[in-house]
Amino acid sequence: MGRIKKKGTSGQAKNFITRTQAVRKLQISLPDFRKLCIWKGIYPREPRNKKKASKTSNAATTFYYTKDIQYLLHEPLLAKFRDQKALEKKISKALGRGDANDARRLEKNANRPEKTGKTKYTLDHVIRERYPTFIDALRDLDDCLSMLFLFANLPSTPTVPAKMIARCEKLCLEFEHYLILSNSLRKSFLSIKGIYYQATIQGQDILWLVPYRFNQRVTGDVDFRIMGTFVEFYQTLLGFVNFRLYTSIGLVYPPKFDKNMDDHGAELGAFSLEGNGIGAIEQPNHLALKKEKISKPDPKLQAEIDKLKLQLNEVPEDEPMTTQTVAAEENEEEKATETIDKFEPALPGGDILLQPSYSTTDPSTLFSNSTFFLSRETPRQPLEFILRAFGCKRIGWDAVLGDGAYTHNELDPAITHQIVDRPPPQVNPDGEVAVEDNQTAQSLQPVSRVPGRIYLQPQWIWDSINDEEMKRPDLYAPGAQLPPHLSPFVKKVRGQYDPSAPLNEQEREGEELEADTDEEDEEDVEDDEELAVREPSLIENMESNGGMDIAGSEDNDSNSGSDSEAAESFGGFSDEEEEEDEATTSAKQRQRELEAELSGVAIETPKIDPVAEKKAKARKGAAKKAKEEREELERARMMMSNKKRKTFDKMQYSNKKKEGEAEVLRAKRRKIEKSGKTAPRD
Amino acid sequence: MAPSTLPRKRKAVTRDVPEMSDVESEAEFGDGQLEGILSDSGLDNDSEEEEDEESGEDELDEEEIPEDYRDAENGEPNGARNGLVVHESLRSDGLDDDDAPNYTIEKDANGGERYVYKDIDPVYDSDDSDFAIKDNTIGDIPLSFYDTYPHIGYNIDGKRIMRPAKGEALDALLDSIEAPRGWTGLTDPATGKPLNLSQEELEILRRIQTNEVPEDGYNPYPDMVEYFSGIQEIMPLSAAPEPKRRFLPSKHEAKRIMKIVRAIREGTILPYRPPEEREEEEDVEVHYDIWQDEQARPNHITNIPAPKAPPPGYDLSYNPPPEYLPTKAEKQIWESTDVEDREKEYLPTKYDSLRKVPGYEKLINERFERSLDLYLAPRVRKNRLNIDPASLLPKLPRPEELKPFPTVCSVLYRHKERVRSLAIDPSGIFLATGGDDGIVRVFEVTTARQVWHSKIGDEEAVNVVRWRPGRDATILAAAAGEDIFLMVPDIVDIETEQASLDLLDAGFGYATNTVQALTANGARKDPVAKWTRPGTRLEADGVLIKITVRSTVKVITWHRRGDFFSTVAPTAQKSAVAIHTLSKHLTQIPFRRLPGIAQTVQFHPSRPLFFVATQRTIRSYDLQKQELIKIIQPGARYISSFDIHPGGDNIIVGSYDRRLLWHDLDLSTRPYKTMRFHSKAIRAVKYHKGGFPLFADASDDGSLQIFHGKVVSDLMENATIVPVKVLKGHKVKSALGVMDIDWHYKEPWVSSAGADGTCRLWM
Repeated sequence: MGRIKKKGTSGQAKNFITRTQAVRKLQISLPDFRKLCIWKGIYPREPRNKKKASKTSNAATTFYYTKDIQYLLHEPLLAKFRDQKALEKKISKALGRGDANDARRLEKNANRPEKTGKTKYTLDHVIRERYPTFIDALRDLDDCLSMLFLFANLPSTPTVPAKMIARCEKLCLEFEHYLILSNSLRKSFLSIKGIYYQATIQGQDILWLVPYRFNQRVTGDVDFRIMGTFVEFYQTLLGFVNFRLYTSIGLVYPPKFDKNMDDHGAELGAFSLEGNGIGAIEQPNHLALKKEKISKPDPKLQAEIDKLKLQLNEVPEDEPMTTQTVAAEENEEEKATETIDKFEPALPGGDILLQPSYSTTDPSTLFSNSTFFLSRETPRQPLEFILRAFGCKRIGWDAVLGDGAYTHNELDPAITHQIVDRPPPQVNPDGEVAVEDNQTAQSLQPVSRVPGRIYLQPQWIWDSINDEEMKRPDLYAPGAQLPPHLSPFVKKVRGQYDPSAPLNEQEREGEELEADTDEEDEEDVEDDEELAVREPSLIENMESNGGMDIAGSEDNDSNSGSDSEAAESFGGFSDEEEEEDEATTSAKQRQRELEAELSGVAIETPKIDPVAEKKAKARKGAAKKAKEEREELERARMMMSNKKRKTFDKMQYSNKKKEGEAEVLRAKRRKIEKSGKTAPRD
Repeated sequence: MAPSTLPRKRKAVTRDVPEMSDVESEAEFGDGQLEGILSDSGLDNDSEEEEDEESGEDELDEEEIPEDYRDAENGEPNGARNGLVVHESLRSDGLDDDDAPNYTIEKDANGGERYVYKDIDPVYDSDDSDFAIKDNTIGDIPLSFYDTYPHIGYNIDGKRIMRPAKGEALDALLDSIEAPRGWTGLTDPATGKPLNLSQEELEILRRIQTNEVPEDGYNPYPDMVEYFSGIQEIMPLSAAPEPKRRFLPSKHEAKRIMKIVRAIREGTILPYRPPEEREEEEDVEVHYDIWQDEQARPNHITNIPAPKAPPPGYDLSYNPPPEYLPTKAEKQIWESTDVEDREKEYLPTKYDSLRKVPGYEKLINERFERSLDLYLAPRVRKNRLNIDPASLLPKLPRPEELKPFPTVCSVLYRHKERVRSLAIDPSGIFLATGGDDGIVRVFEVTTARQVWHSKIGDEEAVNVVRWRPGRDATILAAAAGEDIFLMVPDIVDIETEQASLDLLDAGFGYATNTVQALTANGARKDPVAKWTRPGTRLEADGVLIKITVRSTVKVITWHRRGDFFSTVAPTAQKSAVAIHTLSKHLTQIPFRRLPGIAQTVQFHPSRPLFFVATQRTIRSYDLQKQELIKIIQPGARYISSFDIHPGGDNIIVGSYDRRLLWHDLDLSTRPYKTMRFHSKAIRAVKYHKGGFPLFADASDDGSLQIFHGKVVSDLMENATIVPVKVLKGHKVKSALGVMDIDWHYKEPWVSSAGADGTCRLWM
């Protein structure tokens, strides 16, 4: 007989450790433990069996992996924390003795980030550990950017020092500069929470949220120490990410920061980027590059050509022309190798493989030929960022919005587009212009429209970049009712409601008819013709009770049976049922006629509206089809194993829920469309 | 107090003077004197003196006047000393000032005269002992007592010292930010002005900070003055000669000095350097390519990366499509639900232009929640089946492909009492039934015409009827009570009838022989079955043989060749299962013991196998080798019946616990499919034997269920079972529904015997 195994020495009891145990083991305070967990990315785990993992019968306990905590034991930061704790003790001792000198000396080594904005430790090694590759870091950038952009917009408080905010802002702006230069911003979305941006860097989609420029309301139930710990980590992370991104496109990091310009609200313009001379700076202007190539043909190639010409005994007619053509050809070849070829199926029958589609417009050229002017009421920062990221070089704005504009002059003739976000002037009958806002009226005449430029609402920019094309400007003219702004991040799933597609494409078959009946039901219940259509089930019941066995009647029987049995039973096929339906309708008709004859009343032939009849028929057809489908499904469900059936039912539940939501939306839309108050949709 | 008393005295003196001078003034000085006094009033003494010096001659006259006046007072002749006085006043202006009347006369509100005195200037050398005391005379009380007043005390003249103008709070803040040199941030309690340090004071502070001597010009190492040792005492205290060490430099000190020198050379002792400002450190942020030598690390299985926040949907838009906006009812519901119970934490809202979009209040909270989630929430990997539920559904053939199968009841065979068993003959023309009335009836299948009947059981019900397989003869076996009857109904042509009669009679001679042999072997042993003639009445009907066994027979199963048939009498312990040989009139008991009560038996359709079902299991035996081959465990509690597929590899089992089980004998001893579609016990199950892939079961709930069960010869493919039809029609009578079913041999028709006294043919 082997040794009796002791309880709690292996398995889950050993693999998991509670938080209290972890803190005891590491010999640090709970806040320090929290910090370590946040930085090192250690999170609690859910043991498969809580009872086995915990030694006590405490219900709400957080468990960590013992291995994780062991790994924390060797953390250099832990030593730093301990040193700090010892130092604090020394300081308090010195103060207790009244030895101010000593205390002051010790204080110099103490960690006081709230005063200095800098800590005695660095998180570099943590970054390297958590993100072994750069791609890993990019993958985790969503939360980082959202947090830093939020902090860049916070008011400074004792818990959120101004230095922290300034640093966040700087890092964010630097990151934006990279996006502008590399044209990697893809999408953006105006939500009620703020502005969402999506960029694609090295194939990673990064989505983050930037709040609107309002003073954030700081409520009491937010612990800024926790947030601060995150921010500290994210700042370090974004610093390194920025460094890598900048160097990858051949720029010096950090870029030069002009404090003076920043004080005047230049924001993005306060940074001046410079190349480091190692990596190649990506030329934003491809045209320039091409021209260069054309003007300077390869000497070797030129010699070859000359030789050929001599061989052919041809007189070179126009030298620059030929070189140009050759260069162009060369260019073409190069282009051909770079892009993905389109595969067309030569023969039918093969599988179709998906290929990445090249968008027709390069994001860097979308706005490159336009000059924008932002009116004073528009949000400058997001507009400037987006426009620049999509190739716009000349953006002017009102002087109120800060420095760094291409022009502050609204009347500049070069301006092609002006972004306006105020209602158009209302012209009174006597020709005067009513101005609703006195202040604006004083400084600028908002009524005046400069000819030769397009006035647009800001949403135009967002819709344009999301669709990668310049949208129709007339839909976005000042004062026009804007088309709905749709999120570009929603993946279109079959069966989900898609507001951009027309309604009848996504409806279930016969959904509209059903909706119609519902409405009609509400409207006129007593309608005779409707009654004739909806009656047969009742008659059928009567007949089935009458003795003859009708296969179709089994549905009613099974329905009346107990629920549990009904779930198990299946409902065969009902081929005759529909014929039965027909039969019963005609039978009913005859019955009526007979009754009328007996009572001596002339039968009033029911006036059947052809449209209504058609509708009714369609409805009946739909109902029949639905029923058939239901039967089919029930039949197939019965043949599944118990386990599979359970998963199937679960899935059906969630799908039904989603479908229900979509149906509600469709119904709403139908109603809106019927009432005729629709916003323009594209 | 001297300066204050002096003017008072003078005042007392001068009080009288104007009256006196009034008399003299007209005579001696005229108007000039008065003018001079008036012009003096209100002017500061010092400034006046300076002016005096500058202005020269004009002023001199004025100066001279009070002199004259004093002289006049003293009673000295005025005119004679005129020139001298001028000189004197030039020499000592300050001294002369004291003598001048330090008041002016003004008119008060009542028109009377009022003396206004000049301020006293306590110069340094004045004998004012209170000079050190500040202007404020309130004494040693806190300044805060005056907080509510515009002044902060009184000066020595009893005048209010007004509070110096204080900048607004903002100014104070700005001052603090700019921090001019010498700024301390303190307020001088005496003046109420900010207390700033002068340059000298700052210098002193700096010296203290750098551990230097604070006072300028102070020599910390002056030459020693030998107060005592320099004096040669006449009587020395000690006569000891001066020790040598007094004349030698100290080695110990030299050592210590060298230590310091060495430390300075090595650089361990550094000259004082002012502490660096922390501000400067801050800007230095080291950035480098941390991923320079990056190496991908495969993700550990326990590492679960944090899930990304879901992207915003359409309803988060500032200008969503109108269908996303909540209706009034939805809005109300949202508002009335608790914050934690809400499905969404926001209500979709529409703003008709971007400038109207307000800030989102809960943004910080949301981010905070996300942070909490990131480090506090336990992460569990949940496998979510992201598949189309339709793909889970088994692929079923279309109902049209499954046709034909029985759908409607087309023929009804009425009986008076419960029908227990029925069978369709191999030709497919006749249907035999047996029931509680003890009569075996034969109907024409399609017309429901009763062509033959015979009452075989007097009290007992007919439990089972079965036709002998094979077209060459028409023999019906029926069991009522303990008797088994073999009969040849006279419904077929003569030749077949004759063949049938021959078949039955052939065994008689054989039987008598063997029976004797058997008795000789076993000592006085009862035969397990007696093969006899049933009697003339029955023989006239065509019932030719009666086999009597020991207990009630419930099941008869024919072998496919028609020579053997097996019966089951569940109540009999040892002889429950019997195999009868028709050609020899022989009955054998193959099993001496069975592990349970035998329920039913079946012959394998092609091989010499014999299946026996007990309550829980089905055992298959090889009849030739006489050994157990397999034990099939359907898992049912109480098997009621089973049937073997014509192919021989599949069986279906019906049980009283409402289960219908399909066994693939090649696959496993466990059921391949379990079907539980009946609400009551299943009584009978049957395969179609004539080529249609159909099987049916009959249940006490009064319904038959028809299944499509296709068996393919390919070993890799499992049988497909599709339920196709529920046939309802039989009424449930005393908790019994359908008692027995049988398939037609050629057509996809099924007949059923009901407890309600009817048989039905479904086609």
